[in-house]
Amino acid sequence: MLEVRVGRTAPAATATARPMAEGAALPEGLRAAAAADGFTGAAGTRCDILTGQGRVLLVGLGSGNDEEALRQAALREAGAQAASALIGVAHVALDAHGLSPQEAAAFAAGACLRAWRFERLRTRAQEGAPRLAAIDLLTDTPDSVEAAWRVASAGVRGALFARDLVAEPGNVLTPQEFAARLQPLARHGIAIGILGQAELERQGLGALLAVGRGSVHPPLMAVLRWKGRIKAPPVAFVGKGITFDTGGICIKPAEGMEHMRGDMAGAAAAAGAILALALRNSPAPAIAVLPIAENATGASSYRPGDVLRSFSGKTIEVVDTDAEGRLILADALAWTARQHKPRAMVDLATLTGSIVTALGHHHAGLFDNDAGLAAKVTAAGLAAGEPVWRMPIGESHRRDLDSTIADLRHCLSGRLLPDACHAAAFLREFAGGVPWAHLDIAGVANRADAEPLHAVGPSGFGVRLLDRLVATCFETA
Amino acid sequence: MLDIAFAKPALPKSGALVLLLEEGANGDSPTGTLLAAADEATGGAVSRALAAAEFKGKRGQATTILAPGAGLSRVVAVGLGKVEGIEARHLEDAGGHAAAALAREAAASVAAVGLSGAQAAHVAMGLALRSYRFDRYRTMEKPEEKPKLAKATVLTTEVPKARDGWAGLKAVAEGVFLSRDLVSEPANVLNPAEMAERCRKLEALGLKVEVFGPKEMTKLGFGALMGVAMGSANEPRMVVMTWNGASAGAGKGKAKAAAKPLAFIGKGVTFDTGGISIKPAGGMEDMKWDMGGAGTVIGLMAALAGRRAKVDAIGLVGLVENMPSGMAQRPGDVVKTYSGQTVEVINTDAEGRLVLADVLWYCQQKYDPRFMIDLATLTGAIIVALGHEYAGFFSNDDVLSAQLHVAGEVTGEKVWRMPLADAYDKQIKSDIADMKNIGGRPGGAITAAQFIQRFVNGKPWIHMDVAGTVWSGKDAPTKPKGATAFGVRLLDRLVAEHFES
Repeated sequence: MLEVRVGRTAPAATATARPMAEGAALPEGLRAAAAADGFTGAAGTRCDILTGQGRVLLVGLGSGNDEEALRQAALREAGAQAASALIGVAHVALDAHGLSPQEAAAFAAGACLRAWRFERLRTRAQEGAPRLAAIDLLTDTPDSVEAAWRVASAGVRGALFARDLVAEPGNVLTPQEFAARLQPLARHGIAIGILGQAELERQGLGALLAVGRGSVHPPLMAVLRWKGRIKAPPVAFVGKGITFDTGGICIKPAEGMEHMRGDMAGAAAAAGAILALALRNSPAPAIAVLPIAENATGASSYRPGDVLRSFSGKTIEVVDTDAEGRLILADALAWTARQHKPRAMVDLATLTGSIVTALGHHHAGLFDNDAGLAAKVTAAGLAAGEPVWRMPIGESHRRDLDSTIADLRHCLSGRLLPDACHAAAFLREFAGGVPWAHLDIAGVANRADAEPLHAVGPSGFGVRLLDRLVATCFETA
Repeated sequence: MLDIAFAKPALPKSGALVLLLEEGANGDSPTGTLLAAADEATGGAVSRALAAAEFKGKRGQATTILAPGAGLSRVVAVGLGKVEGIEARHLEDAGGHAAAALAREAAASVAAVGLSGAQAAHVAMGLALRSYRFDRYRTMEKPEEKPKLAKATVLTTEVPKARDGWAGLKAVAEGVFLSRDLVSEPANVLNPAEMAERCRKLEALGLKVEVFGPKEMTKLGFGALMGVAMGSANEPRMVVMTWNGASAGAGKGKAKAAAKPLAFIGKGVTFDTGGISIKPAGGMEDMKWDMGGAGTVIGLMAALAGRRAKVDAIGLVGLVENMPSGMAQRPGDVVKTYSGQTVEVINTDAEGRLVLADVLWYCQQKYDPRFMIDLATLTGAIIVALGHEYAGFFSNDDVLSAQLHVAGEVTGEKVWRMPLADAYDKQIKSDIADMKNIGGRPGGAITAAQFIQRFVNGKPWIHMDVAGTVWSGKDAPTKPKGATAFGVRLLDRLVAEHFES
């Protein structure tokens, strides 16, 4: 992450970014240049000006941001715009004069989110490689801005932690390597437990074990616990962690299969959210449960038609081995509900192509068994700039899962199927009586185009949403 | 339509008897007044049979007892669940279950004892809706194979109230049947001209019907609709149906100040081959129902007129056939819509939105309606999103959206709101024209809605994507498999609940 310093001056910065509301008056020295470029402060626009005193980037905030939440969102995007335009500048000042501490923090958060890149696997310097490494956040009230930044930066760090995991290829990030990457979280006060294959067998997580069986890298389940301070059951995040998804015996077409290295984005987001809570020392107890496996095509792979006995005791007829995510989540949800009796469970998963057809890349799909929790998740997503859209679990979606041989089947085969709804109807069967929300993030976790808050690639979607959800709804007993 | 009558409760001397039974207080023995009478007349045979069938009166449970005695040919027990708080749609479902069990009977008495007259009318509605059958093209069916049920007498203590309720519901059922007939018709019969002729027949209900042909539409500048139509030998039509139920005859001799009308707009592609972007052969026969949106609008207008709804409403349908031919529109063509906006046609199989674009713009410009609701079998994406249980809808009006959602819950024609956002609108940017007609697979139903939104000129608007709901491969209680007329009852309810003076 960018190094962020809060202060009154920025002696090392060689460029300054200034947010500007639409129609606001500009200082004398910049007015003519902005006018010449037709810059008015409209949202999403910017104006790059070289002055005698150095480079100044004006970033438009648009108009009508009369609520604090809207102002913060506009500043987050403005910070991202600044980072995008000044990515080749090593040290940048963000001019946060006149902003509230939360707005100033949002400005810096946007820059950090947009500036993130995954460069670890390049061995040669690329021409035009990003150089942006440090930010000075300029303010007259450094103490209060510093405090706001501590809170906002926790969510940003959690998101970037998730992105680093999502970006890693499947040969590097095996289930065992995923578990190893979680170990450093211990130094933030997070307790880490790993259930290996033998333990999963002992406890009977038959669905997770079946999915992992085709791979030479055995499955596992990681449990991250943040104790918090209040006396309440934990909030649980459950994340799908398929480190690579070939589809198994129902193998995917070759085209685009490389993107399946990101099929663990849900698990990464759940881990990132726990990190965010720890970094800002949230009073809320929380756990993340991450079922992690590789869905490989092999001699031991599970087959279409197999019947699995899940941790819940329910039997599942396997229809398509490429619908593996809901199987590992079924066990993880049932296990979490039984072992930890959480006050709410939110799962995140790059689950279906259907949700991409339904909602595209600008909303995650939200399914639930609790309208109140759904409203809270929706509000948190809106505030975090990670929008979700509520989708239905209808009677027909559940009825479609009736099996001729087992308690239920986990999907249908054929064309034009509401598979995202089917998946949610399936998962609901394993949530016990716990208030539960399911985020299908297949359309938003990993993008081929840059978005306002991230470059091409992983978004870390969900981390800041969950952090916000906990902050607004679960920090009192 | 099934002949419906109402009469005071009495055990029939012969024929079929339906007992609508409430779930027993302890969940064991169902209750109902005529049950006791039937039981007595048959020497306890009815209750013994119900016990043997483990009939508890649960909602949706139905059991048939053949020839239980007392001259009855059959007794059908249909469970109502708990009657307290029962909704109209549950009563309609019960009527539907009864009708399904009565196919072998010519006439039946249906005991709605213990229900109000209004509730009995909904039972009648269910009986009628389920009895629909489209058998115009069956010439070799033997009489014994045909469903026989022709008359149902609903037994109720509130006969006049039941008759009143049924009068309004019957008009709606007729609208539903008209819509089902249109959607069921094959495309070689129901081309745009024929469909317009069927609209004209609605003049008998007091609707004003105007038909526009290719000359008029070309002169108006309907470049998008005409572009879709030009591949077919069958000429396009636009039909405008006007119902002045509020302004006309509102006061005695005094014409009331005309309120803005409600507007319903339907996509009526009488057959959709896909055009030059031709569809795969498998399942293409389904494309006869690509006029389902228009079918619903026509059925709705018939329902409103039939029950003399106190509302001003207009229905507009754009009727075309989408065919590949030497005259057909090509991918890459740019057309100028009636609004003046230009569209690059990337895929000729995304034709519905082109038809709607011109009709919607015409509607808002000519009528300045209070709102516009369009219905279209528009995308496969909405089926992938929601399946067949919900229609997807998109709107720029939160209040109207909430009203539609509630109407869906009440009628059982369920709808689910889907998002609109600028980020999706960007997907239909064109390199050569104001927009292109497809936005790619991600969010395919949303980008279609974004396209349509560009033609509503900011008016309050709802777009309903009914591709998953106009046709059903399975029987449902009030909808035999086939054309569902989805939307007629939903929108009739919306109008009745919120917009009648």
